Amino acid sequence: MESYSREFKIQKNDIGNAGTVASLTKRELKRRGLTRDFVKTVTIGIYEAEINVVIHSYGGYCVVKINDDIVDVIFQDIGPGIECIDSALTPGFSTASHYAIENGFGAGMGLPNIQSVSDEMKLTSSKEGTRLHMKFNIDGDCYES
Amino acid sequence: MELTAVLELINAKQFNQECPRCIKEINYAFVCDLMSDALMLLKKMPSHIGAHGALVTGLVTNQALRTAEILDLETIIFVRGKTPSQSVIELADEIGITLIGTALTMYRTSGLLFMNNVKSYESVLEEN
Repeated sequence: MESYSREFKIQKNDIGNAGTVASLTKRELKRRGLTRDFVKTVTIGIYEAEINVVIHSYGGYCVVKINDDIVDVIFQDIGPGIECIDSALTPGFSTASHYAIENGFGAGMGLPNIQSVSDEMKLTSSKEGTRLHMKFNIDGDCYES
Repeated sequence: MELTAVLELINAKQFNQECPRCIKEINYAFVCDLMSDALMLLKKMPSHIGAHGALVTGLVTNQALRTAEILDLETIIFVRGKTPSQSVIELADEIGITLIGTALTMYRTSGLLFMNNVKSYESVLEEN
């Protein structure tokens, strides 16, 4: 099937639209005949990352690329960065604002969740911004029979 | 459990009557107000049961809907008398999620559902 590539802009605190990237990617993955369980795995990772950019950063963007072998997703924001990545990857650790918690997030499960659903995850961060690169491998079992 | 019976059991109303894909039964439920908890725990739940699964929450925002959408849950039960805005109802119609609401607390709603054989997340995993 043809390759898919799409870039999305994500605004700071735009909680109303958070989930749009995950929803549109879900639609594309279903269109390509991938199983519901695989689609769920990918969209959980994308949704958590999308929420993180909305509630923790000054804004950023996301690039989703899909081909027959892999779903490759990059989230890049413009700061203020993660102070301690090891802490951020600890389940339950959270620096979320009251605003985020009021909107159903801030449980401290975002990055651990992303780590557990993706086949590969690279996270780098500085005050200038955070970059999250996720990969989800597609094999024959990922397609509806 | 049939949706009409659930509505009666917890004295609930349905917010999007016109939803074209409204389900008729609720057999499983998961309760939370923090959506990452739902995403973390329910990722292991087989997707095919989502059509008869409900998210019980006090969060009446798009994020409850997006979480249900990603987890393939087709019903949300809002508790504590929370009413979704028109834009939330419109999004529910767009993505095919049934919204119902009750004035009961989360504890009482969950207890009533559990006593009437609406199964928990743990039961789903044990069965599958």
